[in-house]
Amino acid sequence: MALVAVRGVTKSYGSVRALDDVSFEIGEGITGLLGSNGAGKTTTLRLCIGLIDPDAGSVVVLGRDTRVSPEYRTRIGYAPEHDCLPRSVPAAEFLAYMGEVSGLPRTAARLRASDLLRHVGLFEERYRPIGTYSTGMKQRVKLAQALVHDPAIAFLDEPTAGLDPLGRREMLELISRVGSEFGVSIVISTHLMGDVERTCDAVVVLDAGSVLRTGAVSGLTEETETILVDLVDGAPELAGELHRRGMAADLDGSRITLTQVSGPDYDTLRDAIVASGAVLYRLAPERHSLADVFAPVSSAGDAAETAEATS
Amino acid sequence: MSSGPAEIFDLGYHGYEGERTGRWSRRRAIWRDGVRIALGLGRGASAKIAPWLLIGIALVPAVVIVVIAAFVGTATAGDDSGIDIPSYAEYYNFAIAPLSLFAAIVAPNLTCSDRRDGVLALYAARPISPLDYVASRWAAFLSVALTVAWAPEVVLFVWNALDARNTGTWLTDNWDILPRSLLAAVVLAASLTTLALLAASFTNRRAYAAIGMLAAFFIGSAVGHIAERDFSGRVSDVLSLVGLPRVILATVHWIFADPLDNPPPLSGAVNALWLAALTVALAGWLLVRTRRALQS
Repeated sequence: MALVAVRGVTKSYGSVRALDDVSFEIGEGITGLLGSNGAGKTTTLRLCIGLIDPDAGSVVVLGRDTRVSPEYRTRIGYAPEHDCLPRSVPAAEFLAYMGEVSGLPRTAARLRASDLLRHVGLFEERYRPIGTYSTGMKQRVKLAQALVHDPAIAFLDEPTAGLDPLGRREMLELISRVGSEFGVSIVISTHLMGDVERTCDAVVVLDAGSVLRTGAVSGLTEETETILVDLVDGAPELAGELHRRGMAADLDGSRITLTQVSGPDYDTLRDAIVASGAVLYRLAPERHSLADVFAPVSSAGDAAETAEATS
Repeated sequence: MSSGPAEIFDLGYHGYEGERTGRWSRRRAIWRDGVRIALGLGRGASAKIAPWLLIGIALVPAVVIVVIAAFVGTATAGDDSGIDIPSYAEYYNFAIAPLSLFAAIVAPNLTCSDRRDGVLALYAARPISPLDYVASRWAAFLSVALTVAWAPEVVLFVWNALDARNTGTWLTDNWDILPRSLLAAVVLAASLTTLALLAASFTNRRAYAAIGMLAAFFIGSAVGHIAERDFSGRVSDVLSLVGLPRVILATVHWIFADPLDNPPPLSGAVNALWLAALTVALAGWLLVRTRRALQS
């Protein structure tokens, strides 16, 4: 069953159309909402948590239309991109309070607050005011507050924003753990291709308010599988043999690149190598990244990712 | 070495399968948090200084009255005992200034920091409505302000009852003071709370909110005073309603059936109606502003 169903949603802010007849579904697991700045990611998240209503269409989360009642929010979590934590309150107290506001009894909220802070690695620091935490620790508290009431699905807006490479890797590992061990489905809004590739099972790619593509991350990268064939000798002969057998082969010195390769093509390649007498040095699949698939969308994201990785 | 039975603890993640509370429990949680913020509970020492200092100042008039009464031996507030001790209504003539200061400085703590720190975004994603949030915060500060406003009256009432020659007879004759003083305290606390939280909804800075509320009080009082002095007829009547402190005191004295020494042009009932309508309107405005902030 789809946890989130966005159906024909249009949303405008004045004359700016943020989403234009957008439809997609999000199932269990970790899903990336990918797009460059202004693609409509944050608007989509805000629609999902019921902060704003669509101009047209509907958003159904956990089987409930988001416009009807806020009660469905007892089972959703949300961590915004910007700062959202009180500086003078200890993390344990804040999480327990957020748990209560989300519908947990007081005692259960306190127990779960401590438990969650242990899971995100802040157990020792749980009684310190949040204002004394580092950026990475605050991101962990943001994640913990989104999970304290045991939601079925949590929406995380740019969860690695502002983190150094090590902090980013740890946060992505933590998110993967939440998805696999905690059994909580996650929707990550991000412009960073790497975050999606490392953590997500599925991806929804947004571009200028429209859905560019949806599907499993592995499926999307499989479609673009490329085979690199490095030869000691006989490269031109093999290329000719492959052309004769109907396969598009790009010859570059001693390397042949085969694109859009599917299962039966491997048999054809094997037969062509035998028939041409070429001497094989290496045969390896080159799995394209999502960046290759969505090159137009990702240009801005790549630049930002590179900037973050080098910072 | 311990010879007790070995235990294995599962430190893995556990989902929550217990009961989930309803909307009133969530509202109560926000209310309780608001009371703690107002009193600086669970915060550092610096967060406690302002509220407790201002509570102390707000209680000064009551302490002075009780001390005077103790010294003269006749704490018969409002009675014709020969000693001019302020009546229950007159107590608020002295208390309104420190209570206003208390509301102006402390009430913004309940909402300004939520906005400044971005916590509103988290409330917006919780199973509560904007009304739940703002009403709970409003009720939290109202509870504190009401306690500070009413407690001295209760102390005075108890003191007078115990100090009377016949406590039973005194209580039979004066029981109505208690509900009147409670209503007066509610009027005072509700109007101050609403105005202070509305002022706080315009800024993330608590100091600006406090200045805004006090400015509304002083400017309104000045306009009302000038209108009463320099104008007459309808203009004077209407403009006198701008002076909020005087409107509040006129209402309080009307509740006690104890007119002000220098009454405003319009009757106490009209002032009370105007104050009720104004408070409701300001509360509506506060809700609209809060809803907008939660959705932004």
